[in-house]
Amino acid sequence: MIDSPALIATSQKLVATDVDIYYGAFHAIKSANLNMKENSVTALIGPSGCGKSTFLRALDRMHDLTPGARVTGRILLDGEDIYAPSADPVVIRHRIGMVFQRPNPFPKTIFENVVYGPKIHGETNQAKLTEICERSLRQAALWEEVKDRLNRSALDLSGGQQQRLCIARVLAVNPEVILMDEPASALDPIATSKIEDLIGELKSEYTVVIVTHSMQQAARISDNTAFFHLGEIVEVGTTNQIFTKPREKRTEDYITGRFG
Amino acid sequence: MDIMATPPRVLNSLASSSGVKARKFADRTATVVLWCMASSIILLLAAFIIYMFWIGARYLTPAFIFGLPAETSAGGGIGPEIYNSFYILILTLIFTVPIATAAGVYLQEYARPGRFRELVVFSAESLATVPSIVMGLFGLLVFVYLFKWKFTALGGALTLTLLNLPALMRVTQEALSSVPDSFREASMGIGATKWQTILRVVLPSAIGRMTTGIVLIAGRIFGETAALIFTAGLSVSTNSPYDINPFHTAETLAVHLWYTHTESIVPDVDRIGNGSALVLLIMVLVFNISARVGGRALSKRLTGRPS
Repeated sequence: MIDSPALIATSQKLVATDVDIYYGAFHAIKSANLNMKENSVTALIGPSGCGKSTFLRALDRMHDLTPGARVTGRILLDGEDIYAPSADPVVIRHRIGMVFQRPNPFPKTIFENVVYGPKIHGETNQAKLTEICERSLRQAALWEEVKDRLNRSALDLSGGQQQRLCIARVLAVNPEVILMDEPASALDPIATSKIEDLIGELKSEYTVVIVTHSMQQAARISDNTAFFHLGEIVEVGTTNQIFTKPREKRTEDYITGRFG
Repeated sequence: MDIMATPPRVLNSLASSSGVKARKFADRTATVVLWCMASSIILLLAAFIIYMFWIGARYLTPAFIFGLPAETSAGGGIGPEIYNSFYILILTLIFTVPIATAAGVYLQEYARPGRFRELVVFSAESLATVPSIVMGLFGLLVFVYLFKWKFTALGGALTLTLLNLPALMRVTQEALSSVPDSFREASMGIGATKWQTILRVVLPSAIGRMTTGIVLIAGRIFGETAALIFTAGLSVSTNSPYDINPFHTAETLAVHLWYTHTESIVPDVDRIGNGSALVLLIMVLVFNISARVGGRALSKRLTGRPS
């Protein structure tokens, strides 16, 4: 895979080299290589079952939680291998946050959801927590909608609000990278467009990697795109190049809707 | 035959045919039957409570509820027995709840699915089916004879712990398994450790179901007789009727009820029996309701909404 100079943004935040992922005997990802640039949005696209979510979860060491899953190869965060023996998954997941496909707020109040991360990382000052809560909810474009009911259950929010709350919960621990696994697939079009606007704003401060099955979404919000097929990364490039001048036949077939 | 051919149309009008009518009749009949079955449970409970009040309410005087029991004469009370019931209940819960919770957490959150986990679950389920009289005899051999404690509240409570531990462990495990994995992923995904996740997300989310389990166990402990006859004894403490020392005999209300109807030589067996039965019923109901209310309040405090 060639890094053309046309790729947007300069420094590499996350670099995956020769990554293989297995579920038991099943070879889910085959020697994947991908560079994810700082302050940009990288979209992982491809048909269902192509391994894009599996690859995303490897970037956060979430496969540690799945018995039988195995990851080989190297994934560097600022040049440090997150699979090195000395690397602590707790610290990695603090620096790399994850937003999931279905909104999964805790059955706690809105406030407690947002400050959950800071609290587990040792923040006890109530004034500080209140401040973090407001900042994170503002960043997630949810503050105006919930500021009067921070002590209400998060489960009373709509699906779109819950997902923005989950994003706020990740932002509250001040991560460097935010991984999103089809964050809008369970939401209606209006909620989806709010999430997409939000992702556009987040990239000024964070590195975003997003899995999406919607090519339109990838085209709208991402700077770079990786196309996955049958466990392999077929093609990587700027989103513009992938969608207008794909180099690979398989990419072109997928983009133009010949399979998927 | 061309499988793509349109099948002939069967419905030619909007009026219901005889087939539709029969299906709708069956549907309505099923609804009525199921409703009646469900209602009969409420009816049974109501009838039972009314009957118990009918035969026992007139005996519930302060002298009966707070008085001391009599060995041979009429007019004995049940004060110390009520005290012992609560005493043994609380002692048992102090042993049972932490162990059952810890074991349930280990099984659900730490043990990998496999031989060991299956063996623990199988053992728990086997233990849970041991008849309480057998467990009582085991308590007799271990606590009364082997440890030479004689009949004690502690021995009774430990026997009840053995009796209820497996069931409560399974309830805890089930409660934890009902907590969606997405909560665990969300927590771990922002850098929580496994223990923080369990303590701050998983257990609070399971607290409603766990409370229900504890209430059911508590009801069984209140009503248990067979396991206590051989371990906690058939009389109240000789030192003081309201003894706080766990090493003295402690006859509970349920045991007293059994005792007066079988062994006792007091003339007013019916009065004590019916009165005791009603008090026992009220205690179980009050405990059940308050535990539910308390569990709901706790759940609301922890999760922001009632479970």
